[in-house]
Amino acid sequence: MTTPHNDSDASRDAADDEPIDPAAALALIQQQNADVARQQLSGIPWILGIWGAAWGLGFLALWSGYEGGNPWLSLPLSVAGTIFGVLLVSAIVTSAVLGVRISRGVRGASGFSGAVYGFAWWAGSIAVYVLGIAFAREGASAELLSLYYPAAYGLVAGLLYFMGAALWRSIDQLVLGAIIIASSIVAPFFGAPTNNLVMALLGGGSFLVAGLVMHLNLRRGRRA
Amino acid sequence: MTDLDPVIHAAARLRISATLASLEEGDRITFPRLQELLDMTAGNLSTHLRKLEDAEYVVVEKTHKGRTPVTYVALTRRGRRAFEDYTDTLRSLLGDNA
Repeated sequence: MTTPHNDSDASRDAADDEPIDPAAALALIQQQNADVARQQLSGIPWILGIWGAAWGLGFLALWSGYEGGNPWLSLPLSVAGTIFGVLLVSAIVTSAVLGVRISRGVRGASGFSGAVYGFAWWAGSIAVYVLGIAFAREGASAELLSLYYPAAYGLVAGLLYFMGAALWRSIDQLVLGAIIIASSIVAPFFGAPTNNLVMALLGGGSFLVAGLVMHLNLRRGRRA
Repeated sequence: MTDLDPVIHAAARLRISATLASLEEGDRITFPRLQELLDMTAGNLSTHLRKLEDAEYVVVEKTHKGRTPVTYVALTRRGRRAFEDYTDTLRSLLGDNA
């Protein structure tokens, strides 16, 4: 082909065409797969870290907002609720932006799976919210609702991590989903407002650990 | 079964094939994104894509998104199978029975 090249390109082209021994060929495939994984998945540890911070700080704020919660810091409930809301919305926005970057330039069959997965997050979150309104109308106390919302949302999030694990064959997501579900159903047994502390430590903590583990795996060049 | 497919058995085309094989079957990737994942020059990439295309291992589809031309690249079924055969042959040559 007569595409114009500078010298270094031309010499690289020549080197590219030279035969290679089988061990080097296999190593090259593995190296390339690791490079692609690192480039495509490098945003995911950030997504997990952002969720870890949002859950950790957000639930700590809620815990500090209720009477009988945080003994060292007390926030007005409206402030605590606002902090929680802002952190959660920021996490949703940043993970949506980073998530779109992961699959940029790729079209086709997997687009449907990704779209269903994204839709499931919205459907699940809205369902939890609407159900809560129904319970409130039927006289559920503020205390009961403060147990219901984190637990139900955590259950939805955990199941979606299971779905992500199935879609992308990711053991990391499977483990994370299991821990999130366990935290969500254990937390209410501690009663309000301690359930928020449990969500902050177990839920937020496991996001942070998962993000760190995945970051290290990607740096070692192994597909997580 | 110890002959390595010469179409794939060259560093650049090996890396291209591996990258395209890492996509889900039925997915295609834009030329610039593929170039980015491979860190190759456009000229170099098109040269090797041409060779893969001639062997019917790769399909290059030129289309438009609005007024901007977009080029999508994907492995054909034949190309995916050739790459799998190639890696199997490599493993058997290296005495790996896995």
